[in-house]
Amino acid sequence: MTSTVQSTGTAAVPSRTRPQRTAPPIRQQGAGSGNRSFRPGRIVLGVVGIVISLIWVFPVYWMLNSSLLPNVVLQSTTPTWLPFGGSFDNFVAVFSGGTFLPALGMSTAIAIITVVFCLLFAFLGALAISRFRFRGRKAFVLAVLLIQMLPAEGLFIAQYKLMGSLNMLNSIVGVSIIYIAAVVPFTIWMLRGFVAGVPADLEEAAMIDGLSRTQAFMRITFPLLAPGLVASGVYAFLQAWNEFTVALVLLQDNSSQTLPLWLRGFIQASASRATDWGQVMAASTLVAIPVIIFFLFVQGRMTSGLVSGAVKG
Amino acid sequence: MKRKLASLAALATASALVLAGCSSNADRGADASADNSVKTITLWLAGSDTPDELREYLKTEFNKETGATLNIQQQDWGDLVTKLTTSLPDANNTPDVTELGNTQSSTFTNVGAFLNITDMYDELGGSKLLQSFVDAGMVGDKNYSLPYYFGSRAVFTRSDVWAAAGVEQPKTLDEFNAGVAAINAANPLNIPDFSGFYLGGQDWRNGISWIFANDGELATVKDGKWTSTLASENTLKGLEQLQQLYKSASNAPNDAKDSNQYIYLNDSDEIKDAEGAVTASTSLSAASIMAPTWAHWSIGTLGTDDAGKATRTWDDTKNAVFALPGNDGKPAPVFAGGSNIGISAKSKNPELAKSLMKIIFSKDYQTMLGTNGLGPANSDHVDSLGDDQFAKALIASASNSKLTPAAPGWATVEGSLVMEEFFNKIEASTDLKALAQEYDKKLTPMLNGE
Amino acid sequence: MTTKNLVLAQADPPRPGRPHKKGRLTPYVLVIPACAILILALGYPLVWQFTTSMQKFGLAQQFGQPPEFVWFDNYVTLFTDPYMWAVVARSLAFCLITAGVTMAIGTLMALLMNAVHNAVRITLQISLLLAWAMPVVAAMTVWNWLIDWRRGVLNSVLSGMGLDFQNHNWLANPMSFFLIAMVIVVWMSVPFVAFSIYAGLTQVSTEVLEAAQLDGARLSQRLRFIIVPIIRPVLAIILLLQVIWDLRVFTQIRLLQDAGSIASETNLLGTYIYQLGVGSSDFAMASAVSIFVLVLTVALSWFYVRSMLKEDDS
Repeated sequence: MTSTVQSTGTAAVPSRTRPQRTAPPIRQQGAGSGNRSFRPGRIVLGVVGIVISLIWVFPVYWMLNSSLLPNVVLQSTTPTWLPFGGSFDNFVAVFSGGTFLPALGMSTAIAIITVVFCLLFAFLGALAISRFRFRGRKAFVLAVLLIQMLPAEGLFIAQYKLMGSLNMLNSIVGVSIIYIAAVVPFTIWMLRGFVAGVPADLEEAAMIDGLSRTQAFMRITFPLLAPGLVASGVYAFLQAWNEFTVALVLLQDNSSQTLPLWLRGFIQASASRATDWGQVMAASTLVAIPVIIFFLFVQGRMTSGLVSGAVKG
Repeated sequence: MKRKLASLAALATASALVLAGCSSNADRGADASADNSVKTITLWLAGSDTPDELREYLKTEFNKETGATLNIQQQDWGDLVTKLTTSLPDANNTPDVTELGNTQSSTFTNVGAFLNITDMYDELGGSKLLQSFVDAGMVGDKNYSLPYYFGSRAVFTRSDVWAAAGVEQPKTLDEFNAGVAAINAANPLNIPDFSGFYLGGQDWRNGISWIFANDGELATVKDGKWTSTLASENTLKGLEQLQQLYKSASNAPNDAKDSNQYIYLNDSDEIKDAEGAVTASTSLSAASIMAPTWAHWSIGTLGTDDAGKATRTWDDTKNAVFALPGNDGKPAPVFAGGSNIGISAKSKNPELAKSLMKIIFSKDYQTMLGTNGLGPANSDHVDSLGDDQFAKALIASASNSKLTPAAPGWATVEGSLVMEEFFNKIEASTDLKALAQEYDKKLTPMLNGE
Repeated sequence: MTTKNLVLAQADPPRPGRPHKKGRLTPYVLVIPACAILILALGYPLVWQFTTSMQKFGLAQQFGQPPEFVWFDNYVTLFTDPYMWAVVARSLAFCLITAGVTMAIGTLMALLMNAVHNAVRITLQISLLLAWAMPVVAAMTVWNWLIDWRRGVLNSVLSGMGLDFQNHNWLANPMSFFLIAMVIVVWMSVPFVAFSIYAGLTQVSTEVLEAAQLDGARLSQRLRFIIVPIIRPVLAIILLLQVIWDLRVFTQIRLLQDAGSIASETNLLGTYIYQLGVGSSDFAMASAVSIFVLVLTVALSWFYVRSMLKEDDS
């Protein structure tokens, strides 16, 4: 069994070639970045890319900028573009409330439970529908597609009653159950594409080459699934991290608030006096930072997943 | 093998879920014993209006009196109705005692969410309690919820701008209306989009003062049937004055609501560069606003407190506060703020909840409310508000204040933002009466909860 | 496609076209966890919603008064209410335009990422990631402030360019309200679309592309014959999701409404349901609209669902 590894470092496109049983195609001389990047078209595209990046990131920058500035500067009619003379006072003030860390813990626990179980359940489900023909399969697929079309705004009373009767109000598990159910259908469908995208004969071939079933799975299928798992995981994580309405209804104790509830409470408390935009933006930044860290983490995973997508030669 | 794998996965899931469930629910269901020391009742307070000092007082006093624990949960105003709707009917999860907005209380009272506490009414203050709030918590002649505290609305001005425009503090409503229009026209500081009186296009909570001041009503009740009366003669008079204000005195956005209007009264020209030159323009853009009386904490000169937090300090040379004058020169009836408090009908510890109510309506607690700037429910303790200009404005404006109709469907009216919409259309309307009639038609069924 | 049952399944090669006897129970075991969680979390609420939509159910019923069963009265009221059709039309227009714009921009961004130098790609990815990572409540707070009529950057910049936007209120007019809402929704959704499509693009073999290029295939041909067929499943599911999400977009509209505008003129289906349920305590009507939205979404996406099912069958 042979396969090709294309280094992601030099190539313009961090592509992972599919392991192929045929000899690797001849790479065109100079197909890497070295040559192509001097083409004028590419430079124009690069400039376009940078401009778009700046536009897209501006609201985030503005949040950060505002979080460092005192409120009086923010109330001016002319915007202050750079946080010169800024400080971390707003962050200190937000932290001194003492409610941020518990909310962070709550959100993290819910997000982790949601991601782990969602990926597990969805992977099993995706395996079933992409690798097996069975009676009821079509109904299952249809249900998976339809369930995500339910508008959630009409369900919260019933969900409250349900969790109340299960004695799971104000509990991490209660909310997680709702979240897992909310993201599992899409995740199944997304992973199905990835599982189906792994040619089955690839594994067969690997096993013929002497790998055990587990080894074949770990070394061939799993790396090919990694981008799908990461993408679905990110999706599940974001849903759990950002969800607001269900959390509002199911989590009524002040001691069991998720970050969106905390942030909203913070904004409302601030608005009942004069809105302190600096502090509100600092609080928003604090809610966003864990997501950014998570993203950076999975970005690394994704790349290493791509690199290790190669099979030993 | 594969079946084992799958079932293992299922088992792991189930046990993880159960484990997590246990850990977060361990403190529930401790109501069985007769001994109070293991009992806990829950009090919901809305927003951050009740200061920490008062919360601590309630907890200690309650524990001292009953031996039981008081658990206080703060719920945001914006989400309170959602939470009350889901929790109050649920015996296992209801708060035992809850605060709620006075305009919300009639709706919840009418559906039977609260315990009948008529037997305690006299003990808790009886006729000394603020009557309009008491009415909002009654069905027939029975009391269900009682006033918790009141606030009121007053006019805040930039007295320096008024003086620059040569306008005196008004004695009657007409003088006020004419005065703010004159200031608006004069615009002595040449500020773009300046308002003599900043009144948001959807700010009905302040705007209805003009209806009340002209003896108008939003709705009337006859034989238990509510009728919206926007198109009645007196109400229309108020609406016409409002339209005039919107046209000639206010440059507030057409969709601005009752929030943060005090920022337009402040300067923020303290921003200076290294040489001390002012680099940022002022944000002042209104000569007067109307706001809840506690807004004075957000008006004035900018400074920092000991903790380094930005504060505003009232400056008597620049700012003034007074109750909106009525046509007769006395304070005009304005819309009172504030809230009611009641015991959930589903409370499992009604006796303990009643003990809590007694503490809340005690002289000590009522006085504490007053010293913190919240109008105490019991008129005997109103002195505790003090006698500074803010307390005076609060007491003066509250003396004649009114509530929104105590109709079963009033919360629906607020929830569907119909009043916002109606006020939004006042300025541009060419036929106020037709507009008012159109909204009367919408409001009447809503008021009756149909 | 034949039965592929390698992962976690038997080692002996499967006989094409016929399920393997030993594996007959396996798929059922595999779907149990997913089914269990769906039934647990959605079973009762769905039944409740369906029943409630045929009752008179308001706050009084929520507080224990027995509800009256009225069959399809709520639906009749709903379908004869011109306001509801206005909301439906508005939501459909908003949904289709927003989903279309999001898909177009997202696809272009993915292709751009695929075409530019590494450094530029990473810059793009980081800014998209940052935008994506913004929690909705936080993002809406920032946006509300960017477009603030008085101190917002947007007006300041436009005025600086010589346009008369000083103190312009973007939310007062429904059209500009929806324009702003669309910009925000697009800004929030593009990262997900761009990353998913980009992930799909990485599955396209560079060798094949380069070979095609050597053979003289133009960019449009390469797109049409190589790239699109491979990323089509991704495109289909992403488009479907965008349509579903944008049809009942809630948080963004709700928080924008809090900042300004007239609610009845800017309601979309999501906020309409919320207003009926939470605002007016008319849970029966809210349920009826929810069921209708479900049907509407199915109708809207039926073409895709069917083609996906077909594709799945083949």
